[in-house]
Amino acid sequence: MNKKTFSLNMFILTLVFLYLPLIVLIVQSFNSGMGGDWDGFSLKWYDELFNHSARLWTSFKYSIIIALTSAGISTAIGTLGAISLKWYTFKHKKYLQIISYLPLVLPDIIMGVSLLILFTSIKFKLGLITIFLAHTTFNIPFVLFIVLSRLHDFDYSIVEAAYDLGATEKQALTKVVLPNLMPGIISGLLMSITLSLDDFVITFFVAGPGSSTLPLHIYSMIKFGVSPIINALSVILIAGTIALAMSTKKIQKYMV
Amino acid sequence: MKQGNIKIDSISKSFDGVEVLKNISFEIKGGEFFSILGGSGCGKTTLLRMIAGFIEADGGAIYLGNEEITHLSPNKRDVNTIFQTYALFPHLTIYENIAFPLRLKKIKDAEIDREVKKYLEMVKLSEHANKYSSQLSGGQKQRVAIARALINKPKVLLLDEPLSALDAKLRQHMLIELDNIHEEVGITFVFVTHDQQEALSVSDRIAVMKDGEVLQIGTPSEIYESPANAYIADFIGETNFIEGEVVEVEDEFGYMESPNYGRIKFELDKDVVVGNHVKLTIRPEKVKVSKSKPRYLDDNDNIFKGKIEEMIYSGFQSKFFVTVEDKLFSAFKQHVDFFEEDAETIHWKDEVYVIWDSADSFLLEVM
Amino acid sequence: MKNQRSGLVYSAPITLWLTLLFVVPTLIVIVYSFLKKGTYGGVEWIFSANGYNFFSSSYFLKVVWNTVEISVAATVITVLIAIPVALYIATSKYKNFLLFLIIVPFWTNFLIRIYSWIALLGNNGLLNKLFIKLGLEPHQFLYNKSAVILVSVYAYLPYAILPLYSAIEKFDFAMIDAARDLGASKMTAYSKTFLPNIKPGIITATLFTFIPALGSYAIPKLVGGNNSQMLGNIIARELTITRNWPKAAAISTILTIVTVAFIFTLSKYDKDHKGGDV
Repeated sequence: MNKKTFSLNMFILTLVFLYLPLIVLIVQSFNSGMGGDWDGFSLKWYDELFNHSARLWTSFKYSIIIALTSAGISTAIGTLGAISLKWYTFKHKKYLQIISYLPLVLPDIIMGVSLLILFTSIKFKLGLITIFLAHTTFNIPFVLFIVLSRLHDFDYSIVEAAYDLGATEKQALTKVVLPNLMPGIISGLLMSITLSLDDFVITFFVAGPGSSTLPLHIYSMIKFGVSPIINALSVILIAGTIALAMSTKKIQKYMV
Repeated sequence: MKQGNIKIDSISKSFDGVEVLKNISFEIKGGEFFSILGGSGCGKTTLLRMIAGFIEADGGAIYLGNEEITHLSPNKRDVNTIFQTYALFPHLTIYENIAFPLRLKKIKDAEIDREVKKYLEMVKLSEHANKYSSQLSGGQKQRVAIARALINKPKVLLLDEPLSALDAKLRQHMLIELDNIHEEVGITFVFVTHDQQEALSVSDRIAVMKDGEVLQIGTPSEIYESPANAYIADFIGETNFIEGEVVEVEDEFGYMESPNYGRIKFELDKDVVVGNHVKLTIRPEKVKVSKSKPRYLDDNDNIFKGKIEEMIYSGFQSKFFVTVEDKLFSAFKQHVDFFEEDAETIHWKDEVYVIWDSADSFLLEVM
Repeated sequence: MKNQRSGLVYSAPITLWLTLLFVVPTLIVIVYSFLKKGTYGGVEWIFSANGYNFFSSSYFLKVVWNTVEISVAATVITVLIAIPVALYIATSKYKNFLLFLIIVPFWTNFLIRIYSWIALLGNNGLLNKLFIKLGLEPHQFLYNKSAVILVSVYAYLPYAILPLYSAIEKFDFAMIDAARDLGASKMTAYSKTFLPNIKPGIITATLFTFIPALGSYAIPKLVGGNNSQMLGNIIARELTITRNWPKAAAISTILTIVTVAFIFTLSKYDKDHKGGDV
């Protein structure tokens, strides 16, 4: 089975390739020395991280705030947009379809550049608000896409049934459509939070001097060189992401 | 029951340039069990959805009682629908599904509870109140849909092929239940189906549709015994057609020459003159097949000889397909009596006599 | 109720938002690319096509070439690795678990993933520290084109594996047996039945790798050297350091047009050659 062993080998090599650098990070974060020697197990870098990195925690706080707010707004806007595209016709439908698809395929940097130019040309001060606006903008197409694919399998006859039984449009939306669309909406929300927390390039362009998100802070740390604090932070982030992902899988199970 | 009558007035509708409903007009009486019967594509579902309010007509008007409802949105019409796939709300319990219409109107909880329990009783689902629709069988789902639609006390209940998702035995059972509910509740039922058996068994009146037109409206027996044209005759039940030229006309009977069967006597259901080209239909169950020539024949019997080409035995009946003059195949059904006087067994390739009373045929078309 | 008013109400927020914060900025960029550079940065409202004269700069052309070279190399390598990996996962009993294993590194922060290679291969990284310990001369592994390609492959691999996995999952492997039954060798069977049928997956994987690569900024900035900068870095430099906005706008516009053209041709190719969705 030549083909089978070839693909198996590729798979194993790829796993090694993917995990090796991360494992190095994790191991080094517990290394009390900074060199190639193992100087002994130590948590001192974690101590540095938690107790002496106020600016880092501030930027983390900002990241969370922006992630939650931009995810919330983009989910609301994206969900309504998806509903309009799936079940309604209106004059600018074709236009909307194009402009909601394009951001998904253009490189981040183009969006970052164009937003920076926009904000400066209208003299809007760069800061947390511009970051929030940017994040919401790139999140909306993702939410739209996720909710639209959920709507694909949505049994529209229950909406008709709601109208038939006397519901107004608003009642049909709140009592029938949204409850049944919840899994898709939650998916969109989680995806937005993830994208927002992780974004670097777009945030880099639209952030002001004082504002910083976690990725921006990490970037400046990296530019200063290798530091074991970054190792410790990396481990925390890796562990945190995995924990979050596992718990959302659990939540998703209950939702579906 | 005058309130629940529906008037369809010159309704027409086209989709993408294709005419789906062609100037339809008829009336449904309040309280009757009215079926709209036809093959797929005839426009029956479109018409039903139009009464419900989900499709707007291109032209014409619809009246419910004295009120014109043509442009009313579905939630404002006093009409409720049973959808083909039942459309139960998956996120609500059965209880809440049925309560839904009342909750929309912000009725007090205590009253909702009373009403929901009453309707749960009526459809015999009281023990299942807290289940979800995914836990129910097809028949149970349909009963929930019915309860949910009736709790609003609408004037009309529309049923869009509600039995097509059920298996044959269950279909029979549910049909009877629908009939019982109709008796109990007394409102107008408009029932759309492609199954002529269903329509014949429960309807007060049936409208047969084809290609966007209503071909005939009548009671089940009218439709069956006096079909307006060959299409209906063939669509409803099974039948034989005989064509020929009229050669003699008497008071109540006429005679025709048909290419395959020779001289046929028939009852004058319509007026004819000599020379008319006519088409008759004779239901197979009214045709007798016998190996020996019957002893008692009268003037009105048509008789000729043929050969059994095919026989299908189905327990309660046999179908005989007989070739006459090796041209046409004719289908005949016969009830098999337990004790037959001259019990004879008919076999394949047997020579038989084919007999029917000329009063039993129906004159379809005169040209 | 296909109430027209509702369609407008539901679509208004998203249309307004995206128009104001996506369409308008893009248009402003295009307009700016045709304006004169302001003395202290920004623009003056005078028409000028100077923004586009970077085509004559040899440095610029070199960067363009680098960008294309790196992007193509990264894409080809990534897709070539992704196909057998996705194949293995899709045909395994434990496909969900294996998929999970591949995705987990993907969940870590993008910058951390880049950083992990700096920690490993950087001038003060683990490998060099080990070299010193072993008495070897330290070596600069990073800050060159290969490093950018390596880290790009590392970053984009999951984006390529996922769509390929989903395309391969739908593939009916009985086709390969049928081909072999009709006399084809294993190689031929795979190339004539398998590859053509997973084409939509290959196209998606290519799209999800090549386009982000074209617009790369962080990777070349952090692990690339002076001779391996990419278009993204030039755009940033013109915007923030030399403050030549028309030029930055022009490069951005060209990049946008190239990307859109690329997507357009790919989707046409997919449509013409019968395929699934991209």
